Amino acid sequence: MSAKEKVLSVGIDLGTSQSAIATSNGAKHVVDSYVGWPIDMVARKVVKKSVLIGAEAIENRSLLDLHRPLEQGLIKEGSEKDIAAVKEILGYLIGMATNEDKERKVRAVVGVPAETLRVNKQQLRQVMKGMVEGLIIVSEPFAVAYGIEALLHTLIIDIGAGTTDFCVMKGHYPTEEDQRTLTKAGDSVDDLLAKLIAERHPGIQFSQHMVRGWKEEHGYIGESKNRVLVTAPAHGKAQQIDITEEVRLACESLVAPFSETMLDLLAAVEPEYQEKVRQNVILSGRGSRIRGLSAALEKILADLGGGKVTVVDDPVFAGASGGLAIALDADEADWEKLSA
Amino acid sequence: MSAGAGSAGRGGGEERLKRRLLAGAVDDNVRAIENRPRGRLYKRPPITRWIVPGVLGLAALALGAWALFVRPKPAERVVFTPTTANGPTSGSPRLPDFDEIATGAELAPLALSTRLDSQVFPVAVRRIVLDPGHGGSDEGTKTPYGLTEKILTLDIAQRLALRLLAAGFDVTMTRDTDVKLYLRDRVRYANQKEADLFVSIHVNWFKDGRANRGIETYYLGPSDDPFVTALASAENRESGYSRADVRKLLDSIYSDLRQQESRRLAAAVQRHLVGAVREVSREVRDRGVRSAPFLVLVETEMPAILAEVASLSSPDEARLLGDDAYRERIAGALFDGIRAYSMIHDEVRGKETVR
Repeated sequence: MSAKEKVLSVGIDLGTSQSAIATSNGAKHVVDSYVGWPIDMVARKVVKKSVLIGAEAIENRSLLDLHRPLEQGLIKEGSEKDIAAVKEILGYLIGMATNEDKERKVRAVVGVPAETLRVNKQQLRQVMKGMVEGLIIVSEPFAVAYGIEALLHTLIIDIGAGTTDFCVMKGHYPTEEDQRTLTKAGDSVDDLLAKLIAERHPGIQFSQHMVRGWKEEHGYIGESKNRVLVTAPAHGKAQQIDITEEVRLACESLVAPFSETMLDLLAAVEPEYQEKVRQNVILSGRGSRIRGLSAALEKILADLGGGKVTVVDDPVFAGASGGLAIALDADEADWEKLSA
Repeated sequence: MSAGAGSAGRGGGEERLKRRLLAGAVDDNVRAIENRPRGRLYKRPPITRWIVPGVLGLAALALGAWALFVRPKPAERVVFTPTTANGPTSGSPRLPDFDEIATGAELAPLALSTRLDSQVFPVAVRRIVLDPGHGGSDEGTKTPYGLTEKILTLDIAQRLALRLLAAGFDVTMTRDTDVKLYLRDRVRYANQKEADLFVSIHVNWFKDGRANRGIETYYLGPSDDPFVTALASAENRESGYSRADVRKLLDSIYSDLRQQESRRLAAAVQRHLVGAVREVSREVRDRGVRSAPFLVLVETEMPAILAEVASLSSPDEARLLGDDAYRERIAGALFDGIRAYSMIHDEVRGKETVR
C-alpha cells in the first residue's frame, strides 16, 4: 500500500443548509447543517444523546439549544457555540467517512464561498485542527468546476442556501475578478416566500422548515401547469392553501441578480472566449433544482447571441465530489499539514 | 456530468491545466496562511510604510542616545510653529498620556487586537490631504432650501486648509471646486501625495433631524450599528470600487497600525469639534468616535478619518451652517484636533530623543 493509499482523501462542501462529504473509499454522506444540545437534564433523558446533528436535531428542536452555525456559507462570528457546532458537523461527516477504516489519516479539501474573507478561512483552519492531517481550502465553484472537469471557458453558478457563487474558469485558479458571491440564494428565496405567504394568508401558521420544504418540492420559474397546494395549520386546524404565485415570485427573485452578475462576469472575459463561456454556463447546488431557472438564464443569454445553461447531474454532491477530485490529484507537498 | 466543450481536452494538456489550477489553489492557501493578499492591490503595503521609517527612526534614536545627543537638529523634526491668531498654543508642560491628551477621556480598547503599538513608531505629521465630501452631481445631503453638503464641506475644507497652511503644514485638497470625484480617485490622490494624514469632511443627515443633532468622527473598522452601516453604505455609493476590490481591501486592514493612529486622530478631532460647537449650541450631541468601513478610509495608506462635522437635518444647525462664523468655528475645531494629534507625535519624538 503506497503512502497515498494509506490516506483517506475527502472533499467537503460545508454548506449553510446542508454539508456533504465525498470520500476516496466511495462513500458519500450529506447532513443538514444543524447541531443541537439538550437544553436540560430532562431533554437529555428524552433524546438520549449529548449532541444531535442534522435532521435528528431539527426533529427534536423543541428540546435542544439548536444552532445553524453557518451563515452565508461561513462560520458565524463571535459565537463559541457556533464554532463548536461546526466542529460537530465536520466531526460527524469525517466520522461517517472513516467508520470503515479508522486507522487512515484524513486529508480534506473544503469548499467555501468564493469571496470568503481570509479571516474566515483561518477560523476554519482552527476548527479543523485535530480532525484532519492535511487541508486545502478552495472556493466552492472552483471545486465544482474541477470535479466535472469544466476547467476552461465555463461559468459555474453554485446556488447554495446562504450564498450563490459565480466563477468563470479561465485556465488559472480563479482570482477575485473571476468570482462573485451573492447572498441571493436559497435562504433569501425562503424569506421572501414566507413574507408573501404571510401577506396573502395572514392566519396561516408555518415555520422556516416548512417553507424550505415547499420551495424545494415546488420551486419553479416561468409557467406552471400545476397549482402549488400545501397544507398548514390555521388556528390549530389544518388548511390547504394555494401558494402557486408566491412560489413563482420568490424563485424569480433570483433571476435579476443572477443575470446581472452573469453578464458582469461575461463582460470581463476576453472577447474571443465570451461565446464559449456563454455556451458553458453550469448550475450546481441545491438551488439549481428550481424548475425553469436554466431556461430563464438562457433567455437572458439569448439577447447576447445565445448560450446554454446546464445543471450538474448531482447538485448536492457536486462540490464535495469536486473537492475529492482535487484531493486525489494533490501532491504530498500541496497539503497544509494540520497538527492538533 | 462531463463539461463537454468546457473541458480542457484530454491528455497531457488537461493534466498540465489541472496541475496549474491546483498550484493556484495551493498558492491561495499559502497566502491566506501567511496573511498575504492576492493580486497587486497594495502598491505599497501600508504597514511597510510605517515599519521602514519606524525601524529607521528607532535605530536613529538608539544611536542618538548612545552618542548622548540631546536633540535632533530642528530640520530633522517637524516643529509646529503657530503663525496665526488661531494657531496653536505652546506645548504642554508635561508629556501626557497619548489618549488623555487626544480625547480627554479613556478610550475603550480596540475591538480587534493590534499587532503593533503605534508609539513605537512616532512619525511626524507634515503633509495633510483634506477631502471635502461629495461634489458635482453628487450633492450629498441637502436641505429643502438648497443648502447642500457638497458646498458646505468644500467651504469648511478651504477654511481649514488656510489655517493648516498658515501653521506650516503641507496641505492639498482632493477637490477645490464643485466637481464630482469617485471615492477611488480621492484615495488614489491621497496615496500619490504620500500624505501623513487624510481628513474627509462630511455633513450628516438623521431621519429624525430634530431629535438627533450631533457630531461624530469615524476611523476605519467594522461596525454592527445599523445606522452606521446605512451611513457607510450611503457614503460609499459613488466609490468606483468593485465588490472584489472591497473584499481584498477589507481582508488585511482592520488590525494594522494605521487603525490605531486613525482612531487617535479621530478622538482628537471629535473632542475639539464637540467643544467648539457646544459653545454656541449646547444641545449638540457628542455621538463619539466610531469605527465604520467607509471606503475612503479603507485604501488610504495613512491615518485617515471621516468627520461628520454637523447635521444638516436639524433646522437649527442648518441655519447655523449658513453662517460664515459657524463654518469658521468648525474649521477651527478641525484644525485644533489635527494640531493636537500632530503635537503629540512631535512631543513623543522629542521625548524619545532627549532621554
